[in-house]
Amino acid sequence: MSRRILTVDDSPSMRMLLRAALTEQGFTVFEAEDGVDALEKLEEATPDLVITDINMPRMDGFGLIEALRSGDVQSGLPILVLTTEASDEKKARARSAGATGWIVKPFDREKLGAAIRRVLH
Amino acid sequence: MSVMSPIAPPPMRRLTVAQGDSLASSDPDVVFTTVLGSCVAVCLHDGRAGVGGMNHFLLAEPRPIAGEDARLLNRYGVHSMELLINAMLKRGAIRRNLKARIYGGATMRQGLGEIGNTNIQFARRFLSSENIEILGENVAGTSARRVEFRPVAGLSRCKTVSKQPVEQIIKIPPPPGGDVELF
Repeated sequence: MSRRILTVDDSPSMRMLLRAALTEQGFTVFEAEDGVDALEKLEEATPDLVITDINMPRMDGFGLIEALRSGDVQSGLPILVLTTEASDEKKARARSAGATGWIVKPFDREKLGAAIRRVLH
Repeated sequence: MSVMSPIAPPPMRRLTVAQGDSLASSDPDVVFTTVLGSCVAVCLHDGRAGVGGMNHFLLAEPRPIAGEDARLLNRYGVHSMELLINAMLKRGAIRRNLKARIYGGATMRQGLGEIGNTNIQFARRFLSSENIEILGENVAGTSARRVEFRPVAGLSRCKTVSKQPVEQIIKIPPPPGGDVELF
């Protein structure tokens, strides 16, 4: 069965790149444009894993991680952060908020796929 | 007798945007400047926030590209644009208010015409898919350009320069990111 991934990024171009890279590796992809949109699409998408950007309007990646971790249903949902941010401070903040991993853009298709498979198994 | 002299305004601070750079500013005394051959610079401006930015990229090699190389270039270009947009958002810009101008993409040597065109096409495609309005372009041709951009005012000036810059056609740069850390 194809594993379901919800990608959260405010850039349509980045979502398109992610969709291409992930569907090619056999994943089913759902998309949201920011944290608020992701929370609204959660039920429909019922993802096995979330990949989220940090810098987004309305609700950023930190807000999304905190919101997902505050709900019982989603408490075990793996969340990978995919960001241009390189600061250790932000990485530590994501980690303490409950992120599962941190990936620096531009992503490498194989490394991303390997990380996803490792987290899902 | 004292002579009153007008106070000279402070000089503008000129920041050079080199190939691979993505700079943004909300400082009214800053001017971004760059010289372009086949490279392309995208200037973004949010007039409400008074924030502007410029990048400078070269995505193509002097040979046809396809398959994985093309996808790698696309990822690299998207990354360059995302760095620019993020730098602007951090200074208070709002994505839906962004307006763009595109410069560069000249054919500097015979036989290398596709390089400039590839860069222009990428910039247009990216801005279109991000719903960022293109206010103007000064692209293609065979002359190098000097571009100046005042990020707060959103004013740009583009002059062709007769003395061609020494522009290196660099190979596809390896993406600087992609590192994975699982907690």
